[in-house]
Amino acid sequence: MIADYFLLALKSIRHRKLRSWLTILGIVIGVAAIIALISLSLGLQSTIEEQFEAFGADRLLIAAQGFQGPGTQSEGITDKDVSVLERMSEFKTISYGSARAGEVEFNNEVKFPSVFGGKNGKELLEDTTDLADGRYIDDGDDNSALIGSRVADGLFKNEIRVRNKIKIAGKEFRIVGVLKEIGNQQDDNTIYITLDSYREIFGETDEVGFISGQVKPGIDILSFQEKVKRELERSRGDKNFQVITPTQILEQIGTILGVVQAVLVGIAAISLVVGGIGITNSMYTTVLERTKEIGIMKSIGARNFDILSIFLIESGLMGLVGGFFGVIIGTLISLGIGKFSTEAGFKLLVKINPQLMLFGLGFAFVVGMISGSLPARQASKLKPVDALRHE
Amino acid sequence: MEKIIELKDVWKIYKMDEVDFPALQGANLEVQKGEFLAIVGPSGSGKSTMLNAVGALDVPSKGEIFLDGKNIAHLYESDLAQIRGKKIGFIFQSFHLIPSLSALENVMLPMTFQGFSREERLKRGKELLAAVGLGDKLNNLPSQLSGGEMQRVAIARALANNPEVILADEPTGNLDSKTGIEILGLLKKLNKEERKTLIIVTHDEKISKEADRIAYLEDGKVVRVEKKNIRNT
Repeated sequence: MIADYFLLALKSIRHRKLRSWLTILGIVIGVAAIIALISLSLGLQSTIEEQFEAFGADRLLIAAQGFQGPGTQSEGITDKDVSVLERMSEFKTISYGSARAGEVEFNNEVKFPSVFGGKNGKELLEDTTDLADGRYIDDGDDNSALIGSRVADGLFKNEIRVRNKIKIAGKEFRIVGVLKEIGNQQDDNTIYITLDSYREIFGETDEVGFISGQVKPGIDILSFQEKVKRELERSRGDKNFQVITPTQILEQIGTILGVVQAVLVGIAAISLVVGGIGITNSMYTTVLERTKEIGIMKSIGARNFDILSIFLIESGLMGLVGGFFGVIIGTLISLGIGKFSTEAGFKLLVKINPQLMLFGLGFAFVVGMISGSLPARQASKLKPVDALRHE
Repeated sequence: MEKIIELKDVWKIYKMDEVDFPALQGANLEVQKGEFLAIVGPSGSGKSTMLNAVGALDVPSKGEIFLDGKNIAHLYESDLAQIRGKKIGFIFQSFHLIPSLSALENVMLPMTFQGFSREERLKRGKELLAAVGLGDKLNNLPSQLSGGEMQRVAIARALANNPEVILADEPTGNLDSKTGIEILGLLKKLNKEERKTLIIVTHDEKISKEADRIAYLEDGKVVRVEKKNIRNT
């Protein structure tokens, strides 16, 4: 019987094409906005997750704590902290380094990309990046540089190739490798050199920007994290540092993204509510127009429940059709934005998400039904004699 | 003969802007199973109100209405809907087909509300339309049919659930006289061959003179019932 009511509702919708489509358009816009925004934020999340996954879940990151307010003193991480960590047998390798924007000259052109000086970090680089040309740099490779894809192609007028020479803060370096595009502008715009060279050209002695320690297999990273904190506190005598795992950073980013997503989807939901009111309005008009039809159906045996079902299904169907086109348009919009953004240098992996699409369809159907519930109730309560007399 | 319908002191009072308008004022009527009864009377005499009350489309303000031995005067809407669907077939002056549905779908609709399967509905719908001479117009929309054809569809629809009683309110009122005679012939055939109880509200003498009995309504009351054989002698 419900299937028959679907057919009845479909015929009725098709009978008043223009108004039905205009009403449905309201739902299309609302659903498209919601689907596009959810797809984009899911894409952002998976892009970030992918980058962190390459980094590895078996790592601890140690960095200086930022300035915490008046009266506190922030002291950076130094070689002393590195040696404390190096004495701990749980670490397999400890990589560390510093980064800053540096004056870089190529063919008499000067730019300020990010310069990164690293120690013991070859493996980490190998794990997280791919080479386009040349080779990675190792700890002994002073005066050698590995450059990101944007430094190579796009930063300077001429493309930099392997074996070209550049000057960083006045000192000459030979390019030994070029990385493939990583996908985010910051990383692609970086020049990698050894920490020794870095300290020499920037005049630093023992400062370290951050430490990344890979833990041996079988060690519980969370309890080890606490142990590292205690050891560093004892040796430094302060708490001006932080020890975090990539998972924790990911969780923090996830929380922030969740809030942003909720706000954006909330805004998009307003347009869906407006679309729903459009359905309510259109259904009231329909009930009025079809008062006589309702009377006829009652005179040939339709119960109030039958009339209620027919009108609810009809409004639900309008929602569903709107949802169908909304899901398609929303998905196309998010794929388009993802592609555009990736081409513009900000990697954004937007994927087609069947679950989200199904959710969009179901949600639109429910919105349609809820929007139609009041008019449908009114239709079902009409008295048959009065309805039949209606002109 | 067996009584199928009995009205006992039926009143229907419409409230219009604080003023009560009594459409039926103590009407009494008995209808025998299988008979053809015409209800006639001047405009405003309560003919349609009476037909609606008999057909369970409306409940009386006061009085009792028995259909097949059951008092239907004080039932709830859902029960009334069941009676309309199973025991009554309505035929209206302006046909009252659903414009978005084809002839066949219109005929199938009463069976949908009774929960018949699609196969059953298709089979019976086609049979009924063939019986009223529209076997070749199953898929026409009402707008693609003439008045006479629309009324034939309406008759087929009224028969969908094989009701005992056919109620017709001015069934030929919107038709030319030739078509009207054809429609009347069809209704009479149902009455004679299928033993359907037929009640027609009309002010057309051509129709009322064909009936077994004629009930005259005035001011919401049945003032006189004439039998055909009495009239003919």
